[in-house]
Amino acid sequence: MAGNSLALPTAGRGAGLGRRILYGGGIWPALPAIVYVGVFLVVPMGLLLAFSFLTIERGRVIADSFTLAHFWKALNDALVWRLFWRSLWVAVVSTLCTLLLGYPVAYLYAELSGIWRTLTIVAIMSPLLTSALVRTYAWLVILGGRRGILNQTLISLGLITQPLRILNTDLAVLIGMTQIHLPFMILPLLAVLNARDRRLEEASYNLGAGRVGTFFRVVVPTSLPAIVAGTALVFAISYTNFIIPQLLGGGNYSTLALQVYEQTIVVLDWTRGAVLATILLSTCFLFVFAIVWAGNRLTRWNERAR
Amino acid sequence: MAHIQLVGIDKAFAANQVLRGCSLAVEKRETVTLLGPSGCGKTTLLRVVAGFLAPDAGGVIVGGRDITWERPNRREVGFVFQNYALFPHLTVRRNVAYGLAVRRRPRAEVARRVDAALDLVSLTDFADRYPAQLSGGQQQRVAIARSLVLEPQVLLLDEPFNALDAKLRHAMQVELRKLITRLGITAIFVTHDQEEALTISDRIVVMRRGAIEQVAPPLEIYDRPANAYVANFIGRANVLEEGVVAGQVAAIPGLATRRGDGPVAIVIRPENLALGDHGDPGGWRGTIAFAAARGPTVEYEIDIGRDRPLRVVESRRMGCPVRETGTAVTARVVDPAACVLLEGTADGGE
Repeated sequence: MAGNSLALPTAGRGAGLGRRILYGGGIWPALPAIVYVGVFLVVPMGLLLAFSFLTIERGRVIADSFTLAHFWKALNDALVWRLFWRSLWVAVVSTLCTLLLGYPVAYLYAELSGIWRTLTIVAIMSPLLTSALVRTYAWLVILGGRRGILNQTLISLGLITQPLRILNTDLAVLIGMTQIHLPFMILPLLAVLNARDRRLEEASYNLGAGRVGTFFRVVVPTSLPAIVAGTALVFAISYTNFIIPQLLGGGNYSTLALQVYEQTIVVLDWTRGAVLATILLSTCFLFVFAIVWAGNRLTRWNERAR
Repeated sequence: MAHIQLVGIDKAFAANQVLRGCSLAVEKRETVTLLGPSGCGKTTLLRVVAGFLAPDAGGVIVGGRDITWERPNRREVGFVFQNYALFPHLTVRRNVAYGLAVRRRPRAEVARRVDAALDLVSLTDFADRYPAQLSGGQQQRVAIARSLVLEPQVLLLDEPFNALDAKLRHAMQVELRKLITRLGITAIFVTHDQEEALTISDRIVVMRRGAIEQVAPPLEIYDRPANAYVANFIGRANVLEEGVVAGQVAAIPGLATRRGDGPVAIVIRPENLALGDHGDPGGWRGTIAFAAARGPTVEYEIDIGRDRPLRVVESRRMGCPVRETGTAVTARVVDPAACVLLEGTADGGE
């Protein structure tokens, strides 16, 4: 047949790699991304994992030194467990804080229109225009000792006489982490709350529920998928953040993520750094998996008919 | 006093006047349909009754109580949404129980009434499914059960059959109409489908551009349309401008009128016209422009030299051939008494 000219170009035998990536079906178009992830994520992760089973001295791997001893030592180290618990509860508390603070903002955004709506989205997004490091330093300035903005303001207002000691405490880390990660909670919530079906709320009113009842019986439960997404995201970045605890927690403050940094960059004990990193990443994965699993259990209604 | 009274309701969205002085009285146990094309304000009017919208002027009185400014959750007026608006995160049982749960009824009473409501719509076997796992027809029945479980005196239904396929739609129309009659509920339907309106209503309210054009029982609306718009919206109609001479419509022998000489707009249903040979006295002469055989009937379009062709529906006997296009014929009115003389002009048609 002569009318075959309409057929899509196919990856013939003579076709080059570029042609396959552009036109080939299956996984071919994903190949560049797969290569990128392989080179820059899977291989380094594999090395990291491998380092935690090897002995490294002065930046050289000692041959045939495969051992579980480093892991065993870390798991029996009370300090590691203390770091783990602190990382965990700081991440959990700051994630809950972002949820409690972020949900009303996302809800408000969905209710607004016109200029107020634009201003709200600008207010939500603008912190992302500066780096997290800069924002952390900003908190240093705000919360810092006697001359910090917060203490100066409160003292000059006569509300306190002695400066509050917030910097270098858990509270400072929680405040910083909550503020810096807030957009990552608000954005998924905002997308879902804004696109929600308002008739469900009308149906709820029609059946006799008031505004508050409708909010908790309909709006919150139907936004659960977004709550799960935001929670998993913010938990993961809070649990593994080391800049905020380092700057706002002070010199004696440490978390698991911060120790990975210190051991690898400062102490140059790469083996211990790798062991802690492996613990950090595997537990992070487990927690995120648990959040998503629990979320899926709670939103089984979301599945289509089988 | 009527069960539902709407008094002079106005509503505008910005510069767009959606409702213009809508007044309507619905008797107890009556089923009324708001009928009109999309954008005519029928859904807006229903939403005003439910309290989702506040009117700019006018009032809503249900059961003698002025509820114009009552919040929607205090109205005790059932509402079935166009796409049902079932709560996706609740099972069928908990969807139906929602209104009772909000009212904090005792658990045993909730279970009893929910079971009864599910039984009423034959959904007992689906009680533990989520809405996403139901077909369109089942979802609609959940939506109805969810309203009926609260035993409302008034039920408002916004195009409830829209999402159903044609066959199921007709079955559900009949089913729902029977149910509403049996429970003695006063119901207001909204639809843009004239056949649906004819099937389910005691009275039809024809709306256009935010105003009510005519309120009458289905057959009366069909037989005695108030104007050309209604005539064209309900069924098919020929609206002709004819001359009156000495109390007689010239083109229709036997149709007398008290009006003075001059033009008058007349509605003639296609089935009230018969075709005869060209040259017969009276009627309209023309040629057949189009013929469509429908089985029991044949529809003709006759070109009579005016803006619109004349529509004629002839019933057909077995073996009777369709008249050929191009044939010269004369169309005559069968029953002059079935013609409707309009007050206004022939404008405002399709």
